[in-house]
Amino acid sequence: MECLIYFFLRALRNMRQCPLLCGVAVGTAAVALTIIAFFALVVINVQQLAAHIGERVEIVAYLDSVPASDGLKLLRQRIAALPEVAEVGYTSREEAMTLFKKRLGRDADLLEGVGPEILPASLSISLKPDFRTPAEVERVVSGLRRDLGLDDVRFGREWLEKFEAFVTLLKIGGAVIGGFLLFAALFIVSNTIRLTQYARRDELEVMGLVGATSMFIKAPFLIEGALQGLLGGLIAVGLAFAVFHYFLHEALASLLLASASGSIVFLPLGFQLLLICAGVFLGFFGSITSLRKLVRI
Amino acid sequence: MIQFYNVCKSYKKDAAALIDLSLKIPKGDFVYITGPSGAGKSTLLKLLYAAEKPTRGQILINGQNVTRMGSRQIPFLRRRLGIVFQDFKLLNTRTVFENVAFPLEIQGRKRMEVGKKVFQTLKLVGLEHKMNRLPLELSGGEQQRVAVARALVIDPLVLIADEPTGNLDPEVTLEIMELFKGANARGSTVLLATHDREMIRRFPKRVLALEHGRLIEDRPA
Repeated sequence: MECLIYFFLRALRNMRQCPLLCGVAVGTAAVALTIIAFFALVVINVQQLAAHIGERVEIVAYLDSVPASDGLKLLRQRIAALPEVAEVGYTSREEAMTLFKKRLGRDADLLEGVGPEILPASLSISLKPDFRTPAEVERVVSGLRRDLGLDDVRFGREWLEKFEAFVTLLKIGGAVIGGFLLFAALFIVSNTIRLTQYARRDELEVMGLVGATSMFIKAPFLIEGALQGLLGGLIAVGLAFAVFHYFLHEALASLLLASASGSIVFLPLGFQLLLICAGVFLGFFGSITSLRKLVRI
Repeated sequence: MIQFYNVCKSYKKDAAALIDLSLKIPKGDFVYITGPSGAGKSTLLKLLYAAEKPTRGQILINGQNVTRMGSRQIPFLRRRLGIVFQDFKLLNTRTVFENVAFPLEIQGRKRMEVGKKVFQTLKLVGLEHKMNRLPLELSGGEQQRVAVARALVIDPLVLIADEPTGNLDPEVTLEIMELFKGANARGSTVLLATHDREMIRRFPKRVLALEHGRLIEDRPA
């Protein structure tokens, strides 16, 4: 324990004695992690938006003749009992006419003299998130036609397929670009730390010459690397939050056409902690690789 | 006692730095290692503190075979040796006190003991009033005195100095030599590589002369 405290204090003293090198390492880690944070912000918000849009995936079953109230209740219960179904709504002929008029707006006069009987009543069926894929929707629709005798069942097949392709592209693109950015950050940060330690190779040599063991030389530098990564991670989260709060929030809202800017969110706490841990990891392992080459007794 | 038995060292295939070197240095001896540049003086010293391994032969310090030591044992050998270099090799981001204290810190000595011992040693080399300064704020002579203090603070079994006065003016050279003489008088074996004939004349001791990696002369004090 005493030894650990000594190494920790030594690491802090090293950082204080070489502020420029320390600053370069912390700054590089902070910039690299901030870029990842920005990217994650965009991906998370686009995914959030996609999930929001996904909620609109809906099946509409038109009823040629409206069953009696008990029959309608039973039909709704049977549909709601399906494992894929989240909610079943009913729109009567009158409600449909009101909606239609609302949609026509100033041209609602066109419907003057026309009764609600021209429009069919309908059941709007929304599915649980896991079943909002084209294949699943198709399966549910077939079931409704076959088992419940609903003939006129519609859903936006083409739109749903495009939306599905977009979400898949988003997931793959996010993973590829995110992975690339993470790799680039690892490369840049570990090399910067390697360079800062290379600049102190004389110090490492002298320590070895006066009898320091490999562990005694490396431990403070490893702690220093981890602390630099930790600082870099904290700065990155802070910087990302500041930029998000003052600039990115509005920019993302307009870019993603999110009607309510409240639907644009900052990185979740788990991701923020992950980013800080990534900083510690980058600093620690960047130090290990360089020390392995520089400390030879 | 330091013993070399048929020691050879080659850095490249056809360039031998030391050839078939055998010698004995009794405990408490003061020995100059001389010779022109490239004669093998520094190589001989590096073999002693295990910075290099001999290509062939055996080296013993107090009966311990240095050539057979693993990398884990080498730090413990070096803790019994004081090493002084021409270019001082000080930690420039640490104060004079911290530089001299470092060999004791790595041995895990108590803070009180370290403080006391470092102060005594800095007093010995006449730098106790500059213990909070950084090495680069000192003159060359003072920096070398710090390096000597760092070597002496552990009461070394062997004091190894590789051209310690090469960068210093004659007056400072005398001061440094007095420090080495003092260490020798306190029981340390001193090995000093130099090609300063004037120094050897003023402080006559045993001389081992090397040329092209061979021992060509072993002249007693």
